[in-house]
Amino acid sequence: MKNVPCLLSSGVVTTISKLTKTCVLRLTPDNLFFILSGKVTNGGVGMWCELLQNNFFDEYQMEGVSSEFNQICLEVSPENLSRALRTVQCAKSVKIKLTKKHCACLTVAAELPTLSSASRVVTHDVPVEVIPRRLWQEFKEPVMPDFDVSIYLPPLKMLKNVVDRMKNLSNFLVIEANLNGEMNLKIQTDLVSVSTHFKDLGNPPWGPSQRGDPELLAEATVDIRKLQQFLVGQQVNPTKAMCNIVHQNVVHLILLHEDVSLQYFIPAVA
Amino acid sequence: MNCVIEGNCVKAFGKAIHALSRIGDELWLDPMVKGLALRSVNSSHSAYGCFLFSPLFFQEYNFGSASKHGKETIKCKLLMKSVLPLFRCLTSIERSVERCRISVSTATDRVVIQFFCRHGIIKTHNMHFQESEALQAVFASHLCPNVLRAPARLLADMVMHFPPFQEEITLSITAMKVTLRNYQEGGKGHMKTLCTEMSLHPDEFDYFQIGLDSDITFCLKELRGILSFAEYHSLPVSIYLGAAGKPVCFSVDDMVLEGTVLLATLMDSESNDHSQPTEPRSPTTPRGVNSSAQAVDAFEGPSSMHHDIPAEMVTSSQGSPVINSPNRMHQNMWPACLSLPGSTCTSANTSPASTKICSLLFKAVSSKQDDGACAAQPPVLACYSDEENTDDNQPGSPSL
Repeated sequence: MKNVPCLLSSGVVTTISKLTKTCVLRLTPDNLFFILSGKVTNGGVGMWCELLQNNFFDEYQMEGVSSEFNQICLEVSPENLSRALRTVQCAKSVKIKLTKKHCACLTVAAELPTLSSASRVVTHDVPVEVIPRRLWQEFKEPVMPDFDVSIYLPPLKMLKNVVDRMKNLSNFLVIEANLNGEMNLKIQTDLVSVSTHFKDLGNPPWGPSQRGDPELLAEATVDIRKLQQFLVGQQVNPTKAMCNIVHQNVVHLILLHEDVSLQYFIPAVA
Repeated sequence: MNCVIEGNCVKAFGKAIHALSRIGDELWLDPMVKGLALRSVNSSHSAYGCFLFSPLFFQEYNFGSASKHGKETIKCKLLMKSVLPLFRCLTSIERSVERCRISVSTATDRVVIQFFCRHGIIKTHNMHFQESEALQAVFASHLCPNVLRAPARLLADMVMHFPPFQEEITLSITAMKVTLRNYQEGGKGHMKTLCTEMSLHPDEFDYFQIGLDSDITFCLKELRGILSFAEYHSLPVSIYLGAAGKPVCFSVDDMVLEGTVLLATLMDSESNDHSQPTEPRSPTTPRGVNSSAQAVDAFEGPSSMHHDIPAEMVTSSQGSPVINSPNRMHQNMWPACLSLPGSTCTSANTSPASTKICSLLFKAVSSKQDDGACAAQPPVLACYSDEENTDDNQPGSPSL
């Protein structure tokens, strides 16, 4: 059981609720993770969001299955959780507990300010499913493949505008970038081809070392709706936004914002 | 009939129409001596809303067409989707409309709504109306064991915790607290939904009278309209409720208008035993409530609990609708309401969590009430009366 009084920002959960209908919430003594494993059922899309519990909770107690496996994995609908947190944003205090009602639930109990002396408690029971230990290996941190290119993304709003318009024309989008800070988004149909070019984006220093021609573009063709879904959910401009590409294999997007890191993997289509 | 509404009040009138649009697709304009009533009923007859604007609300109010005999009144029914767009943008109405004239002409079967706006602009809208008996629910609010009154703000704060698509909520009342929670039908579906619950202390209410512990489940969607109206006008909302299955009444009033929404509540067949005559505790005397003998005839009091209402009642029509002239009121019967779509009424005998929406029955006030035949006659929850000249038939007019 976990007892957690806190002032949890609902922004993260709302963003995740736009990405997926269900995901796994993994709790460890130091962190919370929202995980979507890249299974075929998700279209191969994977998500990994990591939060430091310290930054969100005043008090955090958790007890995993055992001291060796000190974590809890729950399958939850982020939409429900987001809704519960949103309505209690102006609460005096919020507690989140893992409880068992008709099924296992994350109970969000908020104390709301009232005009009278009586305090009002609103509880939201978010149904969850506890994931047994034998399935935990599916929810490990994804292994970073060797990227061919690592580049900073242009402002997400701009990217979203471009992708929104391209989506009307084609289902598939080619993302290509090089180590010279250049990125292109291209679509091609029978009638029209459109490409948008970004320059001077910059490349993160820890990216793949320069091998060969920095002008060499690594590319991947992805389902444009998956990219759009990712962009739609972003409400706040992240501190850092990066894109890693494994040539014709996978596009890996990383957003960092105030101690929350969100990674999103989109597989390339053949 | 014609009337003129002065600029500031047009917004209130529009807001009332918004509230009624949450209830039904049709709007009845019912001009009477005591004011203009706007009414709406939902398609399953499980929700009824009425806003009565007294003549004082209007700049001018001329009731009564030049008709053969003074008794004939206009019963006009309009489509909500014709009327609502006229009042949709309330902020622009507030800014530009100086006054609004509404006139009903039986000769041409038209309702004319004219907006006299700034800069000399006049917008005229002609709507064809259908002549239709205005139905009016009568609800003896003073016979309700439980009466609450709260500022609109309190109720709005509670209701905002439920998602907009939440259909039904359950309100439980005991002497210690009032609890609101969302209602889910039984079955696998509820495993995945968010359950929300909150409690209110009796002290938070302006008035709290409890005669009977009860749990009632009703449709939240239809209530939001009047709550939004009340909040805008900062009016307190009065709630009249009884046992599960009896309708619940929400009403607001100020000096020039009264708004009422009557909602049917779910009758839980499992708690049929509860609904047997456990004598309600003698309620504390409500202050200054009108009691009227007429309404007592119309409404079988709280001691007549629901006997097993056969499932058939809810689905079948109770006699054919006979629309006679207004004077023959005991022949006017409104067909029994059909169950709400999606409810498990018809399979009530099979499913364990069988619940039935006990619909509002609009039935004529019959002078021959035989108690013996009560079991055969389905109990009337809210009576339909065609007589509008008696105050007692006013749906739920509280004077607390």
